[in-house]
Amino acid sequence: MIDVGWIAGHLGTIGGSAWEHVVLTVVAVGVGFAISLVLGLLASRLRWTYGPITAVTGLMYTIPSLALFAILVPYTGFSLLTAEIGLVSYTLLIITRNIVVGVDGVAPEIREAAAAMGLTRRQQLLRVELPLAVPVIMAGVRVATVTTIGLVTVTALIGQGGLGQQILLGYQLQFPTRFFVGVVGSVILAVGADLGLLRLQRWLTPWERAKVG
Amino acid sequence: MTKVYGSPAAAGRDERPTGREVEETRGAVNDLTFLVPAGKICVLVGPSGCGKTTSLKMVNRLIEPTSGEILIDGVGVTTRDISDLRRQIGYVIQQVGLFPHLTIGENVAVVPRLLGWPEARQRERADELLALVGLDPSRHRQRYPSQLSGGERQRVGVARALAADPPLMLMDEPFGAVDPIVRERLQNEFLRLQRGLAKTILFVTHDIDEAIKMGDLVAVMQDGGRLAQFGSPDQILANPASDFVARFVGADRGLKRLSLARVADLSLLSPVTARPGDDSADARARVAADPLASGYLLLVDDEDRPIGWIGDHDLPATGPLATELAVPMSPLLEPETTVKDALSMLLDADVQAGIAIDNDGRVLGLVTVEGIGDLMREGDRVARSQRTPAPGAGGHR
Repeated sequence: MIDVGWIAGHLGTIGGSAWEHVVLTVVAVGVGFAISLVLGLLASRLRWTYGPITAVTGLMYTIPSLALFAILVPYTGFSLLTAEIGLVSYTLLIITRNIVVGVDGVAPEIREAAAAMGLTRRQQLLRVELPLAVPVIMAGVRVATVTTIGLVTVTALIGQGGLGQQILLGYQLQFPTRFFVGVVGSVILAVGADLGLLRLQRWLTPWERAKVG
Repeated sequence: MTKVYGSPAAAGRDERPTGREVEETRGAVNDLTFLVPAGKICVLVGPSGCGKTTSLKMVNRLIEPTSGEILIDGVGVTTRDISDLRRQIGYVIQQVGLFPHLTIGENVAVVPRLLGWPEARQRERADELLALVGLDPSRHRQRYPSQLSGGERQRVGVARALAADPPLMLMDEPFGAVDPIVRERLQNEFLRLQRGLAKTILFVTHDIDEAIKMGDLVAVMQDGGRLAQFGSPDQILANPASDFVARFVGADRGLKRLSLARVADLSLLSPVTARPGDDSADARARVAADPLASGYLLLVDDEDRPIGWIGDHDLPATGPLATELAVPMSPLLEPETTVKDALSMLLDADVQAGIAIDNDGRVLGLVTVEGIGDLMREGDRVARSQRTPAPGAGGHR
């Protein structure tokens, strides 16, 4: 079934696909995070914007990925840009919502203490509220990242796709090995990214670990 | 509403606004005017919902007053930059509100950091304050709040409020979330600190006993933030201004006046003491010779800290005294402990005498129920002579 010889002979190709996959994911989650941060902070400050922001990002989240790419291709072509627009739009709902929920979750007495110590509104946000929201925000980033790694494979249909290319080719060429390499590679990337982000989260929040000790 | 805080100088110039402010709308706090002299603890006490916390929060503008004036040293709080104002007012709350993501050292240094102190000085100050509130800086500085007990967190809360040496402190039920034993200790420690610091403190509690113990001045508040009575604890206990105050203070206000006296005010008995290794025969003779000893010897260590009691029937005829002979301890009473708490501890422990110790744990003397009785009778005489009997106002009871 699985042609180990082919795998051994094409490590370069596979590695290239995997690298492309990682780049597509990192760009999507990075840009998605930056946009979500702006939206999340906006929603935290101006509560009335939270409804519309959730509605729009929620709508984007529900559009089937295939349909979204089909809509975009006439404008942006079979390009990296098309792929990234789609991928980014799927991260926004999750990350934005987790930023708002995380900031909201800061205990009232901690907010009050921060204000009473004379922190300005901006200092309260940057030094107290956002750091304390990190666990919830990182949970959102992890879900968004794993989802994106899966979605990247779909972008093979518009000529991108990273390991998705291997899946598509394996299917088209009736060559199970390539299909297998694409699927397993994608799963390994997702699990690896999740574990890596978990470590990052622990490193960012040393006080969370202190609870046990 | 109007409130005035100020130094004695400000009070002397009589900057207290004359007349009452017009009540426009009925707010949480209405028509409240009083003056806190610098360096004193003023306790706002009243039933829940009386507006005492609201009043407190208006001072550092966590709640903006809708009308009236609050002056600190003659300057209205609403005229000052809000962050600047808050950095110069210490703030301690019941839930403490330490920042969970900052270490204890960083928590204490929050305001110094905001004020732009050099980092070395921030660290120095944090260590100094941790030591001041009774925490070992080297042990606690690098820890996170979640690793501390409730009492330790509360101490850190006080240290944080003191960090930039603010002249004014606001404390909202600061010892409300800890168990009674820890609360008692924290109160005593804080009173001891305050003797050295002489901060102007506005202190909120719903507990009349705490108000009486902590306050140089007590403001009893009732619904709508109205001031029911303002005066020294003794004035309020001896002469409640209204039925409301009398009811709030409680039927046991005679007993509560015991809270006004401290162990330090009592005349203490001197116990017969000996150290481990001292000659037993000599100790026996000394116990027998002292009628007030009631046949008991107090064993103390080299630093005069109490170890325990030895009854004369347990004293060997000769030889050195052994630590093992000493039986469990009487209650240990600090000089700041109120006489009321001391009496309660004596009754609880079912013993004749408690041991008064100084802040280093050294024996000062013995506290007895008789000694407390003497103080009460003496206090009654004083109080009766102070009250001027109105002619023809007999049959009041």
